[in-house]
Amino acid sequence: MTKVQLKGVRKEFGAFTAISQIDLEIASGELVALLGPSGCGKTTTLRMMAGLEVPTLGQILFDDEDVSEVRVQDRNVGMVFQRYALFPHMTVEKNVMFGLKVRGTPSDEIKRRLEEILDVVQLDQFRHRFPAQLSGGQMQRVAIARTLITNPSVLMMDEPLANLDTKLRGEMRRFIRDLQQRLGITTVFVTHDQVEAMELADRVAVIFNGELAQYDAPDALYQRPNSIEIADFMGASNIFKAQITGGIARTAFGDLQLDQTVCQVRDGSGHVLLRAEAIDLLLSDADADQNLIAGKVTGREFFGATVNYTVDCNGEAITVNEQSRRMVDVGQDVWLTIQPQRIWVIQNPV
Amino acid sequence: MPSPRTTELARHRKERMWMWVQLSPVLAVLTVLFGGALVLAVMQSLGFAPWFGVNTFPDFSYFGALWGDWSFWQSLGLTLYYATVSTVIALILGTLLALALVRTFPSKKLYKYLYKLPLMIPYTVGIALAVIMLGNGGMISRIFAFVGLIGDPSEFPQILKTHYGWGIIAVYVWKQTPFVTLTLYAVLLGVGRETEEAAAILGANKRQIFFQVTLPQILPGIVSSTLIIFAFNIGAFEAPFILGGGFPDTLPVVAWRYFNDADYTLQLQGMATVVSIALIASGILYSYLAFYRRYERRIGRN
Ligand SMILES: Nc1ncnc2c1ncn2[C@@H]1O[C@H](COP(=O)(O)OP(=O)(O)O)[C@@H](O)[C@H]1O
Ligand SMILES: [Mg+2]
Repeated sequence: MTKVQLKGVRKEFGAFTAISQIDLEIASGELVALLGPSGCGKTTTLRMMAGLEVPTLGQILFDDEDVSEVRVQDRNVGMVFQRYALFPHMTVEKNVMFGLKVRGTPSDEIKRRLEEILDVVQLDQFRHRFPAQLSGGQMQRVAIARTLITNPSVLMMDEPLANLDTKLRGEMRRFIRDLQQRLGITTVFVTHDQVEAMELADRVAVIFNGELAQYDAPDALYQRPNSIEIADFMGASNIFKAQITGGIARTAFGDLQLDQTVCQVRDGSGHVLLRAEAIDLLLSDADADQNLIAGKVTGREFFGATVNYTVDCNGEAITVNEQSRRMVDVGQDVWLTIQPQRIWVIQNPV
Repeated sequence: MPSPRTTELARHRKERMWMWVQLSPVLAVLTVLFGGALVLAVMQSLGFAPWFGVNTFPDFSYFGALWGDWSFWQSLGLTLYYATVSTVIALILGTLLALALVRTFPSKKLYKYLYKLPLMIPYTVGIALAVIMLGNGGMISRIFAFVGLIGDPSEFPQILKTHYGWGIIAVYVWKQTPFVTLTLYAVLLGVGRETEEAAAILGANKRQIFFQVTLPQILPGIVSSTLIIFAFNIGAFEAPFILGGGFPDTLPVVAWRYFNDADYTLQLQGMATVVSIALIASGILYSYLAFYRRYERRIGRN
């Protein structure tokens, strides 16, 4: 169990700045996701933690000790590469044993731990196969086993699920989560998929353009993003310009009462974020007393369990998501309502 | 009524026929150029040369005379020694250079052009350079004398024209290191750095990474490039002819001497030498490949 800290870490490749500055603290035993669009510097951050890249500036600390000068070999971290990086000329068994062999572990202990770990990742019947004879999910598990057998103090995974098909991805997510909880190992994993990050991580570090944009628990990140970019990246569809005065947000489609215990606002301009699933769609205006917005359904997308309606409200298109227990027809006049505590306001910092 | 299965087979046969028809021009050229020459060489070495008025086919006396002479085995030893030593040195230097080239270092672009230079310069120029640089009275000996390491250029140790063959080996290595580098560099780029990085994270040191992770992955490139340069070195003629130490010569030079002898019936002896070189070279290369194939099968490559 190891606590990981990045202090003022910066990374330049020649004239190009990949990471401008990152401060990050990962608690012992925590599972943290590095989330961000492609090219934002997630892999670079991970590689610096592993010791494969040297930060241009700043410090990396494991349990409050600076490891910037510690060689890769001696950091005792584990890394699962995006393309697995299995040794193609070794069988599954040899791949898994590699880490212990090069460390000179006694062979009876290697044998014991090999059996143990093959059991954990359920690869026993594939032990004599070569990587080329395995499926994506199996290679993934070999990569995880090869790493875990060395008892790393920090486990890092670079887009571990990106190369798997949808069904397998779900299975591997649960597998990784279970394993991490069972072993309690500090884990950092990289992803560009916000759903994956929210499902797996205790906390999510959002990285944009080589900077830490927000570092929060999944629900906080989802409900209370601190910028429009993050809200957008987290899949928010209803972000509207608003003028805030005295706890009321004036928008193009009417005034919205805010709950100031949930979000502190100041008077001035800003944006309101209305989560599509927090909005109720009503067929009559008699059923609600506040934050009532009149509109007309202009579109319907049916996803099976849920359905999305696009509602035109005085020129703004608001998306509403609800369980598909009923169907409202396109063209119908409707009323929308949202509780004040479900409205989040994004304002530029002063 | 024919069953569907037989029609399927018939179609298959037709396709195969068509494939052979399409291949025939290439096969004809290959057969005439290589097969034809080889058959002719073997026949001549066995006494078939009516154009010299000799036809005692099949007659093994040329091989007998050749193999019965102790100097043939000395020549063979020298040939193999030059070929092996220069192949090994070129392999080691080429591997080191290729490994360096996949890493980043200042002015790497320049080196990437520079190392290919010997590939574009002909062997004969390389041999001339060796004479100018390495001979007694050559550039290096003069420099040594100039800085006072030796009293006179003639005191410079004999590099050329000895049976140690350092001049020959130098030329081969100079020419072939870039070839090995080029081949292995391409292979290394294909292999990528990730498995090496994974090994480092798992705790392997530089030696372990090279011998257990990198080397097995670039082995196909090593085998094919050394195969090519070794085959060339066994058959090469100019360098040992000009830079060698005289009798006993390497086998290609021996063959050349027979071919140029005033007694043209010795040409048959020369042919026997050439065929011997071919037999020995293919024997060695075949065992080398077989050995490598066995290794590949052992590590599961097909
Ligand atoms: N070795 C390198 N040399 C130069 N630029 C690099 C190198 N590695 C990464 N970069 C650049 O740094 C940026 C961040 O890369 P990376 O960390 O791989 O992004 P991602 O978030 O997709 O994992 C990219 O623009 C990439 O081109
Ligand atoms: Mg990446």
